[in-house]
Amino acid sequence: MIEFRNVSKSYGKDLVLDNLSFEIKEGQFAVLIGQSGCGKTTTLKSINRLIEPDSGHIFVGGKDISQADPVKLRRSIGYVIQQIGLFPNMTIAQNIGVVPKRLKYEKSEILRITRELMNMVGLSYEEYGHKYPSELSGGQQQRIGVLRALAASPSIVLMDEPFGALDPMTRNTLQEEIIRLHKKLNKTFVFVTHDMDEALKLADVIIFMDSGHILQMATPEEMLENPASDLIRSFMGKRVADSSPVHLTVADFMRPDPISVYKSRSVRECTAIMARRNIDSLLIKNDDDTYAGVITVNGIKKSGKTTGPIGELPISQNAVSYVGEDAAEAFDKLLNSDNDYVVALNEDNTIAGIVTKTSMARAMADALWGGDAS
Amino acid sequence: MTFWELYGQKLIAAIGVHFLYVLTAVSIGFIVALALGIFLSRVPGIAKVVIPLISVFQTIPGIVFIALLFLWLGMVPAAAVAALAIYAVFPILKNTYVGLLSVPDSLLEAARGCGMSKMQSLFEVELPLATPSIIGGLRMSTVYTVSWAVLASMIGLGGLGEFIYIGIATNNNALIIAGAVPSGIMAIALSLLIDFVKKKMTHAPAKEVASE
Repeated sequence: MIEFRNVSKSYGKDLVLDNLSFEIKEGQFAVLIGQSGCGKTTTLKSINRLIEPDSGHIFVGGKDISQADPVKLRRSIGYVIQQIGLFPNMTIAQNIGVVPKRLKYEKSEILRITRELMNMVGLSYEEYGHKYPSELSGGQQQRIGVLRALAASPSIVLMDEPFGALDPMTRNTLQEEIIRLHKKLNKTFVFVTHDMDEALKLADVIIFMDSGHILQMATPEEMLENPASDLIRSFMGKRVADSSPVHLTVADFMRPDPISVYKSRSVRECTAIMARRNIDSLLIKNDDDTYAGVITVNGIKKSGKTTGPIGELPISQNAVSYVGEDAAEAFDKLLNSDNDYVVALNEDNTIAGIVTKTSMARAMADALWGGDAS
Repeated sequence: MTFWELYGQKLIAAIGVHFLYVLTAVSIGFIVALALGIFLSRVPGIAKVVIPLISVFQTIPGIVFIALLFLWLGMVPAAAVAALAIYAVFPILKNTYVGLLSVPDSLLEAARGCGMSKMQSLFEVELPLATPSIIGGLRMSTVYTVSWAVLASMIGLGGLGEFIYIGIATNNNALIIAGAVPSGIMAIALSLLIDFVKKKMTHAPAKEVASE
């Protein structure tokens, strides 16, 4: 539907689009995302020739748009901008009718389209049709902005951060509405944003750009599971596949730096530590820092000893896992043993942490809902 | 003989002439200024040079300019109208230019993005939005021209200035007042009329829709 073939564009020395080639298929909801200055807006505006590339070709519906009359081309492509850009000297109805009027639709037809579109977003023509843009809220205005783009039923609609200036609540509502409109109208949407949440929510395909290149073009699921670069990973933030439960290791689940003592510590000291930290067991390590075992309050009681080094008491052995192991195995060990926790060891048998039911639950929550769930 | 019997006819004729000067001068000035203003708003390179020049030009006293035009064109009404028209151009030109430039870029982009041609963008978006500013300039020009027209007639081409001029020369206060008061009223009346038109025009789109 939309194809870029080796498109380049520079402003002075700045290369904004660097030999860009990609294709957006008919009916797709494509989201262009990236940091500011990555070329996403330039890419979008090249599609309706608000910006002319220096080299390369752009095809819309199989036709090279550089051969088309730009004014006619723009009438066949819907366009929504962040600043909304409703004409303040025209009523809402006139704003929606701008493109159909240019295309010389019958007045009655324009009126029918306007009513129908306004109904679709829950703004009644009777109430709002004759109002001026300044009389509407920001969210209502941008709804009209979207309707204006849809009025001449273009097969492509371009949207340049359309919800960027709206408050989160309104943005959310409009995102839902735009998804609904896309499903219903079966048009190709190209949408620019710098908000990954928005991209993941709306897109059929996400095109991630950086300094005029496409770093990755993939479905939201693919991008979540296999971000192609660190930049994308950082854009995804906590949602990224690192913490997808399937690939979690013991290291992701354990509580690091548990309290541990050397074998040579006295029993008295150990009970004092346990009392102070409010715990009922201690990890015991050898002099070379390797894991030796666990001593519990019950174990100390049973031994009847109150003096001497803790290492002389009968040390029990907890289930152990190594940090690189699959988290699921550690989880099984935890459930199948009588212990409250599994000891996580580094490759050199030093203590890395412990896996408890709580640490497990917290890690699961992090993976599911992001890091702030803790 | 009362003042009215003596000068009544002449006064009405003078008001008529004065008004005609103002009307023709402002009309010509308005058309020229609008065209120039639109032109300058399209070519920022030229505007950068021309607009400051115009501001300097505007500070030349009107009487000097009128005198020069008389030397060149002779003592004909056309000379007076030409001089007044040139002065009427400045405020309208400046306001047209500023009004057009103050249309937000986002609206220009929206207009382009909606597939408006340059002309459509100008006539359907930019000029309507600049209208309050343009009419503001028109009002200023009109009020100025009413008073400048007094200067023109002082050189002997009729209008209300003639009364003031003769009144001063013959130390006749009644004549001075007979010239000054109507020109003052004319300035105020025209200014109010233009304000009224401005109000009407900024409400115009609403009516247009209602009639559709």
